[in-house]
This record gives sequence, structure tokens and C-alpha cells, in this order.
Amino acid sequence: MSITTKNLPQLYRFCFLMTGDAAKAQEAFQDTVREAALRSARDEPPLDRLWFFRDARWRCLAVSEQGIQAEAGMMEEAEISPVGPMQIEQLDPDQLAVWVSAAPEPQRSALALFYLDEFSVRELLALLEMKAGELSDLISSGRRQFQAWLDATTPHYEE
Amino acid sequence: MSFFQVRPNYSSLARCAPITEKPGTDRAMRVAIQRARQGKKAASFAQQQAFDAAIAKLVRAIPVDAQVAEWFANESLIPLVKRRWKKILLNPVVIAIALAMAVIGGVFAYRVHERLYDFPGADQARRLLSVASSTRSVILDPLKTDAGALSDLFFMKHRLEHYDIPPEFAEFRTLGSRVFDDDEVHGVAQIWVVEKRMQFFLFPAEKNPKGGSVTDFSDWRFVELEGWTGAVQQRNGVCFMAALRGREKDLAPYLEKRKQ
Repeated sequence: MSITTKNLPQLYRFCFLMTGDAAKAQEAFQDTVREAALRSARDEPPLDRLWFFRDARWRCLAVSEQGIQAEAGMMEEAEISPVGPMQIEQLDPDQLAVWVSAAPEPQRSALALFYLDEFSVRELLALLEMKAGELSDLISSGRRQFQAWLDATTPHYEE
Repeated sequence: MSFFQVRPNYSSLARCAPITEKPGTDRAMRVAIQRARQGKKAASFAQQQAFDAAIAKLVRAIPVDAQVAEWFANESLIPLVKRRWKKILLNPVVIAIALAMAVIGGVFAYRVHERLYDFPGADQARRLLSVASSTRSVILDPLKTDAGALSDLFFMKHRLEHYDIPPEFAEFRTLGSRVFDDDEVHGVAQIWVVEKRMQFFLFPAEKNPKGGSVTDFSDWRFVELEGWTGAVQQRNGVCFMAALRGREKDLAPYLEKRKQ
């Protein structure tokens, strides 16, 4: 399957989630698309859409290493709350991107790709080069950490 | 084989269940989702799905920068990855299939062409060409005379009527002859002559299966088999074939002699 203009916004969103910064996301996105165009010009076009996300992933990680870095540390976890979706509704996409981009690798990539809701699990495993159990653990712990962060930053009071 | 484990951990799989259903979802994942929806933790799973859906909705709301959006407008930026004809044609599998098809097509065309110009008795003539190629002189009765003189011998000794040698070959000196029954051709007269170690065959013409009639032809028709060529003529219900190792052009001078 090839990438078309329909897939490109998703690629940009992935870059944004990975970097948490519009300028960095734009840089990684444009470099990836430019590389794809160059390959096409050389008669070696990318084989599938996974190539774009794989290439963008490494570019995002590279640009993320520039500038201020998030401190590594244990993140708190909390059980998924029934009001979690409502807490999420109060967020801006930027806040989500900042949170995802602060996650350690490979959890960052796993969360960004998973929440794009673009790929099947098979494709996710191929992209991330990991086993189903590892992906499940990363997503599950990410979900609980995000809930803990929501509880701390976006309290929801039941009526 | 599934990319999951041989005995998948369904509860683990359910924790990374797709947010929306996607085509090509692995069977193990489908089972995991089904179990999670119907099991004791159905409420917890529904909560997880709602949580994931809310995040996915937020992701879809990520605004696309105007400068970036320009890239999307340029559809020709990344041409659709189509397997080009050149690459497809250079694929070894395609080449192998094409070659096989060409060979099969060639053989088929050859067979069709061969049958198109075939005449009644051509199969028998080819069969006798194989006899000619395997015949050794010792199995023939030695006989030194003119080939044309053997017609009487065949009639008187073997009751083979109209086994006449055409005038083109009647004056050739013989080395030996025999009469035999083949599995498919009965009453075959075989003559070995000195000239280019040529062999003559006389055999009953093939009858039309519908009416049992025989259609003679006075022109020379040719059959080939494994380097041997036969010139066949049919008269009075009997086929005469002059056979030699070589091509049609090697027989042609003998056939033209009569015309002159």
C-alpha cells in the first residue's frame, strides 16, 4: 500500500506526538517526505506506508535530542477512571503531545503509533520491532500513567 | 502462523486492542477482544476502550500547520508506488513463467502447424520413419534388382496388390526387402536401396473412418521425424514413402527428376 496525501496528515500528527513541538514535528515530517520524494525520483520509491512512519520515527527521535530534555524518572500510575474520557476532553492536543513526547523510548513511539489509530497490531509490531506482550505492557502502563497525570492536572468532579 | 505466541495471552492482547476495528485483525486478537467483552472484566475493558477512543479523538484534533498542509496539496510529491512494468517483467518468477508459456505455446503452435498440413496416413508414415531409423540391413532379405521389379514379387508372394514403386524411384538398385506387420500398420513392404541408403515403404492407405473411402493424392507430401524425412504419395489405396536421413531438400532432386 502506498502513502498518499490522505496519509500525510497522520504522518505529521505522529511527528507532533513524538516531538511535542510543532517546529520539530514539521522538520521531521518534511525531511521524511523529502526523502521519499528523492527515492521516488531515483526510481526506488518507498515500498509501503510503514516506511514513512519508520523513517519519521528516527528523525523525530533525532530532533528530540536537541534542546531541553525531559527528566527520566518513574511515573506514577493510576487505575483507569470512568471519568477518564471526560478528563481527556478538557485537554488540548498540544498537552497530549507534550506528555507523549516526554515518555521514554520505545514507549513514546508505541503510544504515538497506537493512538494514531492508523495501524493494525500486526503493523504496530512490525514498526516497533517488538513482541505483542511488550507492546501490551507499554500501552497498558502508558494508559495508567496518563490517567495519573490526568488526575493530577485535570481533576474531574462528578456532579 | 500467528505473529502472537503459540498459546496467546488473551488478557495481555486485550490491553492493546485496536481502538477501532481494522481489516486483517489477527484471529488471536479477535478472540481476545471477544473474551474481554464477554468476560468478568467486560466493564473494565469497555472503560479502556472509551479511554483509548477519547485519546484517539484528541490525536485526530491535532491541527495541521498551514505550511505543512501545502505539502499535502502536492499530490505528485510522492508518486503512488506502483510496481512498474519494467520491474514486473524483470522478476525472475515472471520471466520463468513467460518462458514456460512461450515453450508451451511454441510446442502447441508447432503441433497445430504440423496437423494443419497433415494428410491421411501421416501418422503411419511417421511411425514407419521410426522403423527406418532403427532398421539394420541384416533383417532384410538380400535382393539385388531394380526397385520397380518388386511390385510383382509383392503381389505374387504376399498378395499385396498395387504395391507399385513410382517411376521416380523404380530404377534404383535394391539391397534387400521384407514384408512385415506392424502393431498399427499391416502389410508393410520395406525396401532398402543403394542410392543414399534410402528406404522405401509401401503400406495400405488410411481409410476415412466415416465412409471407409480412400482419397489418393499424386503429389508428394512430406513427413519428418528425428532427422528423417519421408516423401509420400498415395495411389490405388496404397501409400509409397521414400525415406532418408536428411531434410526435404535432400529428397527434392529425386522428385523433380520425374517432372523434367
